[in-house]
Amino acid sequence: MLRIMKAGLQSTLQSAPRLGHRHLGIPYAGPADPLSMALANRLVGNSSEAPCIEITFGGFEAEVLAECAVASTGAAGHLFVSNEERTPHSTWHLRKGDKIKIDVPEVGARTYLAIRSGFKARALFGSTSTYLPAAFGGHEGRALQADDVLASNGAAAFNETLQTPETLRPTFTHAFALRTCSSGESDLLAPESRAALFGETFSAGRQATRMGLSLEGHTLSVASDGKMKSAPVFPGTIQCPPSGTPIVLLCDAQTTGGYPRIAAIARCDRHLLGQIRPGDQVTLLHRTPEAALNDFAEKQALFDTWLLSGG
Amino acid sequence: MSANLKPVRIADDVFEFRVETSRHAQALANELRSATIAEDVVAGLDRVAIRFAPDRAKQVEAWLLEIQSIQVAEKTDLPVIEIPVQYGGEFGPDLTSICEAMDLSEQAFIELHTETEYLVEMIGFTPGFSYISGLPDAFKIPRLGTPRSRVPAGSIGISAAFTGIYALAGPGGWPLIGRTQDTLFDPNALEPFRLHPGQRVKFKAV
Repeated sequence: MLRIMKAGLQSTLQSAPRLGHRHLGIPYAGPADPLSMALANRLVGNSSEAPCIEITFGGFEAEVLAECAVASTGAAGHLFVSNEERTPHSTWHLRKGDKIKIDVPEVGARTYLAIRSGFKARALFGSTSTYLPAAFGGHEGRALQADDVLASNGAAAFNETLQTPETLRPTFTHAFALRTCSSGESDLLAPESRAALFGETFSAGRQATRMGLSLEGHTLSVASDGKMKSAPVFPGTIQCPPSGTPIVLLCDAQTTGGYPRIAAIARCDRHLLGQIRPGDQVTLLHRTPEAALNDFAEKQALFDTWLLSGG
Repeated sequence: MSANLKPVRIADDVFEFRVETSRHAQALANELRSATIAEDVVAGLDRVAIRFAPDRAKQVEAWLLEIQSIQVAEKTDLPVIEIPVQYGGEFGPDLTSICEAMDLSEQAFIELHTETEYLVEMIGFTPGFSYISGLPDAFKIPRLGTPRSRVPAGSIGISAAFTGIYALAGPGGWPLIGRTQDTLFDPNALEPFRLHPGQRVKFKAV
């Protein structure tokens, strides 16, 4: 059990994406970086999608109210327990009165804090993930704030001390290369804009939220009459509004949109979107759907050797 | 019709069909959703997207290639839903400028907007946001140049040929003509959504 002392810029409880409800206008939510969340859960013996705290840009402090096992992964910054520096990607066994502190990360945007058995949260539409715009899921449908008390689901002890294998620890920098497929309106891109989309380096815009982030630095030209009817969009969809500045949609993305869908970040690299900070460099690597799915299968098999082992 | 039902890839894990009308989109989406092979089946106004788990790519593609036609129900038997609306003023801050642009009195606008029977074509964008068609041809209202950062739940806007209802508070780019006090989305209710695609709607000034 934890009591939040400082919640930072935005901390929410996230678990599985809310699949299967987009036709009702209900977005997925869930972790912006599901791989980091799965790795945190693994270190305390949870399934990959057990509810965790997603912490945006650090600045988080919490007091331990009862003995527990926790672990932290994701954006890399200094981590402390009662003023003693701790390492990410390892199980921490904490006692009542310990204080967890997660500093502002130097690279990456989101840190995950998992607790043995997962944090208690209310399920709605099949998931406990927080969806802030509609104020549901998670902890009272809102971002965490000081003095919130979070309980875990059950009191099962966890005595192992685990570390994520070195080779499976994602390392983030200020540059991201993301495998990307064509999408519904890719053909509307002018040839030089298509060359720019897959050849130039973009800079992530100042607004990098759970809904989306803009790719700045190269204005694209799309042959759109502005009369496209609202069409389905998903996390990973890259839309191009009339301004010519593409927008990549993230986990909280709306379910439909009227802007041309010029590309889609492949599933194998979508987890990286949650770690892109404003100003970070982004390049897009064009892949066929078949190649992208092969890459996903390879990545999944690699991580499953660890995520699905033990327990 | 539907001679050209061909799934197109719009992401490595998403197929999409292009169809003629929202009725076709809804009918096809309902049929595909009931098969529970996909992660998600989402209808746009003239498209249906199917997102699938990556290890099911081949199975899903074979399944979608078999679809030859869409069975559209002839007629909806859902009752007409009456939605009470407070038009104009603080509830519809754009009504005055819309009426000026259309050269109508607010009273004449309200009469026009309330005399028509509408159809819910699609739910999308945000939870419960309804795209409702049936506006008279005279209504050709563009979206706001700059979206509002927050519009209250129940706000009713018009854009192009559609009336839209914001089921919950949030950002919004549609010019607002009024607001309903009816609850259109209650996440805790057994039936969280009041409106569904295919439903007929009438607005009533209160």
